[in-house]
Amino acid sequence: MIQSTAAFARALRTSLAGLVLGGLTPTVATAGAGGPNAPDLAANAPLPDEPFAPEPAPTAGLVEIQVSPPAIDLTTARDRQSIVVQGFYADGLTRDLTRESAFTAANPDLTVRDGALFTPKADGETTLTVAFGGKSATIPVKVARCATSDPLSFRLDVMPVFLRAGCNTGSCHGAARGKDGFRLSLFGFDAEGDYFRLTREMVGRRVNLAVPADSTLLEKSIGAVQHTGGKRFELGDALYNTVHEWITAGAPNDDVAKLPKVVGVELFPKAGVLDGKGARQQMTVLARYSDGTDRDVTGLALFLTNNDSSAAVSPDGLVTAGERGEAFVMARFETYTVGSQFIVLPKALQFTYPDESTGNYIDELVADKLRKLRIAPSEICDDGTFVRRVFLDIVGLTPTVEEFDAFMSSADPDKRAKLVDELLQRKEFSEIWVSKWAELLQIRTSLTVSYKSMFLYYNWLVEQLSKDMPMDQMVQELLGANGGTFKNPATNFYQTTTETLPLTENVAQVFMGMRIQCAQCHNHPFDRWTQDEYYQFAAFFSQIGRKQGEDYRELIVFNAGGGEMKHPVDGRVMAPKFLGGESPDVAGKDRRVILAKWLASSQNPWFAPSFANRVWAHFMGVGVVEPVDDFRISNPASNPELLEALGKRFTESNYNLKSLVRDICTSRAYQRSTHRNDSNAGDDKNFSHALVRRIKAENLLDAISHVTNTKDKFGGLPLGARAVQIADGNSSTYFLTTFGRATRETPCSCEVKMEPTLSQALHLLNGDTVNAKIKQGGVLDEVMKARPTAEERLTDLYLRCLSRKPTPDELAKLTPVVSQAADQAQALGDVFWALLNSREFLFNH
Amino acid sequence: MATGCQGPMSRRGFLTVGALGLGSLTLADLLRSQARADLKNYEAIQATADSVIHIFLPGGIAHQETFDPKPFAPVEYRGDMGSIATKLDGEKFSETLPQTAQLADKLTVIRSMTHGEAAHERGTHNMFTGYRPSPALQYPSFGSVVSHEYGPKNNLPPYVCIPRMPNVYAGTGYLSSAFSPFSLGSDPASQGFRVQDLNLPEGIDDNRFSSRRTVLDSVNSYFREREKSDNIEAMDTFYDRAYSLISSQKAREAFNIAAEPDAIRDEYGRNPAGQRMLLARRLVAAGVRMVTLEYGSWDLHSQIVSGMKNQMPPFDQAFATLIRDLDRQGLLARTLVMVSSEFGRTPKINKDGGRDHWPKVFSVVLAGGGAKQGLIYGSSNATGTEPEKDPIGPEDLATTVYHMMGIVADKELMAPGDRPIEIVDGGKVVKELLA
Repeated sequence: MIQSTAAFARALRTSLAGLVLGGLTPTVATAGAGGPNAPDLAANAPLPDEPFAPEPAPTAGLVEIQVSPPAIDLTTARDRQSIVVQGFYADGLTRDLTRESAFTAANPDLTVRDGALFTPKADGETTLTVAFGGKSATIPVKVARCATSDPLSFRLDVMPVFLRAGCNTGSCHGAARGKDGFRLSLFGFDAEGDYFRLTREMVGRRVNLAVPADSTLLEKSIGAVQHTGGKRFELGDALYNTVHEWITAGAPNDDVAKLPKVVGVELFPKAGVLDGKGARQQMTVLARYSDGTDRDVTGLALFLTNNDSSAAVSPDGLVTAGERGEAFVMARFETYTVGSQFIVLPKALQFTYPDESTGNYIDELVADKLRKLRIAPSEICDDGTFVRRVFLDIVGLTPTVEEFDAFMSSADPDKRAKLVDELLQRKEFSEIWVSKWAELLQIRTSLTVSYKSMFLYYNWLVEQLSKDMPMDQMVQELLGANGGTFKNPATNFYQTTTETLPLTENVAQVFMGMRIQCAQCHNHPFDRWTQDEYYQFAAFFSQIGRKQGEDYRELIVFNAGGGEMKHPVDGRVMAPKFLGGESPDVAGKDRRVILAKWLASSQNPWFAPSFANRVWAHFMGVGVVEPVDDFRISNPASNPELLEALGKRFTESNYNLKSLVRDICTSRAYQRSTHRNDSNAGDDKNFSHALVRRIKAENLLDAISHVTNTKDKFGGLPLGARAVQIADGNSSTYFLTTFGRATRETPCSCEVKMEPTLSQALHLLNGDTVNAKIKQGGVLDEVMKARPTAEERLTDLYLRCLSRKPTPDELAKLTPVVSQAADQAQALGDVFWALLNSREFLFNH
Repeated sequence: MATGCQGPMSRRGFLTVGALGLGSLTLADLLRSQARADLKNYEAIQATADSVIHIFLPGGIAHQETFDPKPFAPVEYRGDMGSIATKLDGEKFSETLPQTAQLADKLTVIRSMTHGEAAHERGTHNMFTGYRPSPALQYPSFGSVVSHEYGPKNNLPPYVCIPRMPNVYAGTGYLSSAFSPFSLGSDPASQGFRVQDLNLPEGIDDNRFSSRRTVLDSVNSYFREREKSDNIEAMDTFYDRAYSLISSQKAREAFNIAAEPDAIRDEYGRNPAGQRMLLARRLVAAGVRMVTLEYGSWDLHSQIVSGMKNQMPPFDQAFATLIRDLDRQGLLARTLVMVSSEFGRTPKINKDGGRDHWPKVFSVVLAGGGAKQGLIYGSSNATGTEPEKDPIGPEDLATTVYHMMGIVADKELMAPGDRPIEIVDGGKVVKELLA
């Protein structure tokens, strides 16, 4: 049933290049372009751009060679398999050794080898040994039904051609209204519809059964007639031949019930560390089917890279290294996108990782990645920096002078960990996380959500977090909530968003860190989610009943027990299925309760890691996956092992937020200096140094009030309440809005804006926040009275605002300003104003 | 910072310059400069517009009830509103635009705007960036690109939003937040309108402010020497801009709408449309490069007639006055005014007496700044369903507007990861629109 077009694409390329090089006979080239019966060829991809062989791979330092895929499994005459040999060196580098390795089959009669491409010759089983530089690896080889050749299938063979040739992308025929009168479903989400449009919409034109080569489908694709999209493939190449053969066979549709499905796609090699610009690695893609067969789809997959300048990838899967950096190389086939991480280092870079006493598990995993990248981390920050940083991050306030002094004067070697523990016990810690959850749950008043509902919802959240409710229980209670929004405030979750599809998307984004919106209308172009899976997930929310309570402001949420989710393309009833999981038995049960039990548990592979990642990002300034709510195959974790470990620890601690925060804040990674060294200057996502972060709106206002000793009055809260305690997302002040407080209109992490603006600068310089608070708080009077000299006064203000003493240089500059002024208090007030306007105050560092 | 036809200055460029200034060129900087060296190069082009006033009508305004009425279509297409003659022979506008119709000879009406995004946010993205939305990259808006290419003039921010940033796509996209708009934060139509924090606080005179600044510089220098990061640099930039704005009486005066004679304020109309457009005129006259303002709410799925009757008269009066006033003051020739919306509305009136989203064809109006006056460009078909002649996409419109601003839209800016990205991809300058 399966044809390997990869083989032919490559064979053709090889033979054409051979002609250019003058190394091959024309017979070979003709035959190579000829069709399914691929002939023996002398060379194999990858081909160098330059006509001279690259320098040979070294044997010194070679530790191991790996052959991918791990087995050759050829079924039917059409099947092909190309293999890739990757060498691992002691210095951490990898090299593509495919063309230089020696291949020895135990029984050479079963397959025909052309370079690294294997085609079937006789049924049976054997092994293949690959050797290079004194190392070898052996993989099993199996050939079955090599005399049979199954007919081509529309879904399995022809549809992939549209993806590979780019026919069904959004800018071409995959557009919602098609292009130039012809439409294909975007990335092939609707095979039946595509079959109809090809064969029935304009009978005899797109597909011409009488004269297959005259089908417009083929004529347009090879540019034989005018085609806006230009030439997509060549007359007689593998893609052409597939479509031609299928039309010749009568353009049959598939019997979908009997057709095997793709159940997985793998990209090899899984990772690579390339040595300098121009280093290469050929990739190979293997698809596995539900009937147990596999297929080399290298020639049918679409290759992508997320960083062209570090690792470019050719349409045939040849990776070429560019500038130093990291790249994620991906292959898309059918609905699957799979990727491999590539690191590119400057050629022959000498590097030694500094010898550090190991921190906790976080540090080991961060160091593993940094070693691969050959990046040396920054040193650990000093105590003064640490105390300010950890106060701002854990409790959202700067330390008072007393707190600062106590920490600095302590000689306890374990004082940092102890401070973390102390801060975790303060109520300000849980307030920060209440505020964060309130953003995720969009707690705000609106036309439909009354102040009372919103307030009860907020207090419910406060209660959950202040009593250290394990995160899984809290989320289960929320998702499975039934009852009135007053009596059981968790039901507000279903009042905030009442439409089923946005609700489905919010659940995925908030609790799994995924944006599945794309899959509402078509298979997700950059992730694994299909339209089917989207609606299967949405089916969990199709039976929510809502009615007004006795009080008109109260909404009662209940399990209606009926209502189905239908697929928008063909109206199929979609049975509930966990996103990326199984289809549970929901008959007669509350679907949301069943979903809640799975979603907030270790069975859901995204729950713990995605929440752990949010916590990590809060403390480190950048997530292991960034943005934190965009987990996606094409947006991989910068350190997958670290993400996994954080999720695992979070699960094992029974979803205890405090223990996760303790792990993070006591790690060396968190305590590093913001100062970069030569090797980590360009790194912003591997935690090799601390990041300078502007303080979030609420915390900044609270910090200003804190150091000026003033109280704020927010609507609905007593005088002296802090901005972080404001329950309603719909209530704000000029300061908070200007500094980017989330409006909570969406659950997106992008709601909180941290970018500096002109309005922020103007407000701090001229606005009533800083100027008025300095006057109101009486700090100046206090300092003027308590501290007799200008130096002492300056030192006091510096400690309050910046948690450090002024440097001698600063004292030299500022003392005369204060001591020689006609109005000393006013001059000191100007210093206070300057401290609150300083970048050092506005940023956590 | 960036002026004129200088090379691309981006968030990365920003960083590099900071690093160079402090004499520490790192390997990463070197790589960045190499990546920049690979960028395309262009001949400078002559701008025909110094400034742009972008009037955005959010929600998707009906082309039928504004600049592209269909008086001869059956009533279910035509709708219940009539049409009126304009200054141009044989060309009609909807009855909602009596004053504007009399100035049609100053306008450039594009009736064949088309794109494929029927959702508000996606359509809005198209019309503010010239790009289709991408999940992988945030594109910068017109205003942020203009900020990036030109920087401030006369101590005024290069890009101002009245009263606030109209939507998220009006932001900086992948460019540094240093190129984000200055949002007024309050509506010039409101009583006692004052741009927040523009003036020194009570009790602080220029001398005191300047001594405060000296102290602030002393306090900042320690941190500045030790810490380098994109967001600190951006904050520094905004402080510098704030200083120039605060210390320039002339620049601050541009925001003072109360300085306009009552007669002028009345002529524009004492309502959001009128006062926002009037303030926009004051700002471009003073040197702001790009003013983006929004007016109304045009997502009229039901009762389109009453919706238009409520909101159009202030718009018509304000817009006509704006064109007349710019012309009177000799500013129209160098100021491009653009009226746009995320899409048009369905050809047929729906069961609720409204029209739904329709991106397949709609209208955009340009005036001044080198646009050809008195031109009706392109057309929709008899029922206003699709373009009949000269369809023009968001990328073409954006490319043409940038061209008038003297910016080659094919130029690449540097996105994170040192990815060079064209300002607009694949658009063409529609020469027919140019004077």
